[in-house]
Amino acid sequence: MAALTLVNVTKSFGKTDVIKGVDLEVQTGEFCVFVGPSGCGKSTLLRMIAGLEDVSSGEVMINGARVNDVAPAKREIAMVFQSYALYPHLTVRDNMGLALKQAGQSKAAVAKSVDHAAAMLALEPLLARRPSELSGGQRQRVAIGRAIVRTPKLFLFDEPLSNLDAALRVATRIEIAKLHRDLDATMIYVTHDQIEAMTLADRIVVLRDGRVEQVGAPMDLYNDPDNTFVAGFIGSPMMNFLHAGALGMRSATMGVRPEHLAISRTAGQIEGTVSHVEKLGGETLVYINTATQGLLTVRLFGEHDYRVDETVQLTPEAARAFHFDAAGLRLR
Amino acid sequence: MFPRPIQQAPRASRIAYQVALPVALLLWLLPLLGVAMTSVRPASDLAQGNYFGMPSYLAFENYADVFRNSPIAHYILNSFKVTIPTVIGCLVLSCMTGFALAIYKFRSNLLVFFLFVAGNFVPFQILMVPVRDLTLSLGLYNSTLGLALFHIAFQTGFCTLFMRNFIKALPFELIEAARVEGVSEVRIFWFIVLPLMRPAIAALSVLIFTFIWNDYFWATVLTTSAETQPVTAGLNSLNGQWVAAWHLVSAGSIIAALPPVVMFFAMQKHFIAGLTLGAVK
Amino acid sequence: MQAYWKRSQRKLAPWLFLAPGLAMFALYVIIPIFQSMAISFYDWDGLGEKIWIGTANYVELIDDDAFYTSLKNNVIWLVLYLLAVPAGLMIAIFLNQTVWGIRAYKSLFFFPFVISQVVVGLMFSWFYAPNFGLFYKLIETVTGDGVAILADERFVTYGIIVAGLWPQIAYVMILYLTGLNNVAPDQVEAARLDGAKGWRMLWYVILPQLRPATFIAVVVTVIGALRSFDLVSIMTNGGPYGSSRVLSFYMYEQALSEYGYRMGYGAAIAVVLFAIMMVFISGFIWKMWRDETER
Repeated sequence: MAALTLVNVTKSFGKTDVIKGVDLEVQTGEFCVFVGPSGCGKSTLLRMIAGLEDVSSGEVMINGARVNDVAPAKREIAMVFQSYALYPHLTVRDNMGLALKQAGQSKAAVAKSVDHAAAMLALEPLLARRPSELSGGQRQRVAIGRAIVRTPKLFLFDEPLSNLDAALRVATRIEIAKLHRDLDATMIYVTHDQIEAMTLADRIVVLRDGRVEQVGAPMDLYNDPDNTFVAGFIGSPMMNFLHAGALGMRSATMGVRPEHLAISRTAGQIEGTVSHVEKLGGETLVYINTATQGLLTVRLFGEHDYRVDETVQLTPEAARAFHFDAAGLRLR
Repeated sequence: MFPRPIQQAPRASRIAYQVALPVALLLWLLPLLGVAMTSVRPASDLAQGNYFGMPSYLAFENYADVFRNSPIAHYILNSFKVTIPTVIGCLVLSCMTGFALAIYKFRSNLLVFFLFVAGNFVPFQILMVPVRDLTLSLGLYNSTLGLALFHIAFQTGFCTLFMRNFIKALPFELIEAARVEGVSEVRIFWFIVLPLMRPAIAALSVLIFTFIWNDYFWATVLTTSAETQPVTAGLNSLNGQWVAAWHLVSAGSIIAALPPVVMFFAMQKHFIAGLTLGAVK
Repeated sequence: MQAYWKRSQRKLAPWLFLAPGLAMFALYVIIPIFQSMAISFYDWDGLGEKIWIGTANYVELIDDDAFYTSLKNNVIWLVLYLLAVPAGLMIAIFLNQTVWGIRAYKSLFFFPFVISQVVVGLMFSWFYAPNFGLFYKLIETVTGDGVAILADERFVTYGIIVAGLWPQIAYVMILYLTGLNNVAPDQVEAARLDGAKGWRMLWYVILPQLRPATFIAVVVTVIGALRSFDLVSIMTNGGPYGSSRVLSFYMYEQALSEYGYRMGYGAAIAVVLFAIMMVFISGFIWKMWRDETER
């Protein structure tokens, strides 16, 4: 059964339309990631699912029941906020137990649930502390723990890692993935970081300007993008977009990922000069200025020595190229 | 930091600054020091024209005289009977109004908010006749309760402005988190917001205490007798009785000023936090 | 019933929280404003029958010399009271250092604001007192002839305003001290690297950052000037010969003091004062409204 169904959902703030008709079905147990640039409406969509924003039109259904007019409290969801939203005056234990206490559970039952969640997240030594005494990573874990305690039908995450430093972000990402496997729960996760989306998701929803651009498994989006926006947004460094006409093709735009652009000092289709080289150890990124195609990126594995201002030749790997029409839609 | 720290200035400027500080303070507080001095000056000194020299002895009996020969103890008690209920009443009302205006979006929200703000600025005289009438018809004219009720209502305007802005500055995600967790609106107020308002409550209590203690206009409009008048109005009538008895007037003034002064020095941080609300962005 | 509450909790909750405060505020503040406006069209001694006299009170006001004296004094109050803003800023800059004991200095400079205006009035009456007052003596030493400030029609209003300025400067000072404390240090340092100092630094870098403090300071000073009542009542009771009256005091005199219980006439004076203040209040509200809706 679908854990969450959105039917032609829209949202307007006054005259501005933020969500312009979204249809989506999320299966029970699925990890679904909303990704898109800032301002695309992904957080608003999540908040509409939570009930923190009203739906202007369309239907939101959780486990088959229409919840448009149901208060957030009654939707059996849990949400982890970007700022963690821990109550500063309560201890970690009371933060985690508040919802159950409000629901009228006995002290013993609350304590048992909190202890269980704390054990999963290694929070036991912190239970008596207040949020101000915790590090950013610890606060994040408490916020997740507070969500787990309620055993909700649906977990909502609103950019939960964006306030953490890079190393902690990777560690917490792995922890969330493990949590999803252990709990077997349905999770919806909002991020602007396509790497987070790729590593965590069963299915990714790419949003732009309040519309869904494409829905699919991470590798489907990477290997089979529907349009230039998805092709450009998924994958790092970004895909090169070439004027296909200049290369004798019939399509308007040809997309080639940096690793599928061959570089040579002797012969190739496109001539250019090296403008910058980034050596990352495992790989080398070469940025080339071309007269006909603008700035292109080439990704090479291992160490390579290219000098700035050196003249080079580039050749796209035709079999791995994507073709798009003038409107940016994929030609298959 | 502006101006440039004096520690970085030449030695001469540093010394000049260290000298200027106490001199400026002395000049600034001259009226106060004069009155403090007069309050311990024996009446005989004044009679002999010794107004500014050293008092011939420290006449603390002036203070005893004030308490013995005037109802000032009663005035002070009345002041407390007006001030304390007002502080409590304002805080209760404005915690609720501030919460409502800071947390909920509804169409007339800003309108109600600015009604409180604007009402807080109106001249007292436009309220005087109807409020006196209202108090008379409630049978509360010339009672500390009648005075306190008006103060509660009027100060609710300022307190609402204060509380609303304070709650608005709290992270709104806290309230959203509580809503998602199934906490009811009343419980959000009680268990989430109220505990976080402690600094605002402290700041407002000292501020309102001082405002109300020092009120003079409404005291003269709504109370008339020594049994009910607070110390500000009482002091004015004593001033009429003690013509030219400056040692008594001074001692009485110091007594009347003392409670808010003590309050200020005890809770200075909160007092200034309250007063400077909105002075920084 | 319970189902209805559950459904509309978030719609009803704000009004339930507002109800007690709003009711009290309406009863004691909002409604009386309109009642006063109504009373200003009656002849009424506060006890007997109200007699409708239309605009007669206002017509009388136009020919009332005492009214013009009060109005003129209100203007003087307003203009001179605003000196508290630059004076408070100067003291704040003077005290914005970190030397030993500076916190105590700041508190003591703020001290006059904590004291009741009644006490301030008595202090300054003593300060100005003829023959032995400190100020009187000072003038006498300098000019050879003492001036009884509070008994002289030429000086009395200025004398009271000085007493009023004393606590008001303290208030403005504390606003600016807080503001200076929050001036962005990197901007000051950047301006220093660009060679700005002294007045130019104050004018181009510091004052723009102090704008919120200046706004509040001007608001409280204007309101304070137009509300002035306590000091006039304590120090001179409007005298000599009514020369130090301000509108708020004249209204009180007409409506409640021994000069007679002319509630209608008093209300008319209050309405004029209210109209003057509404000009300023509307300005403040307009600015606050703009700030709120811009966010």
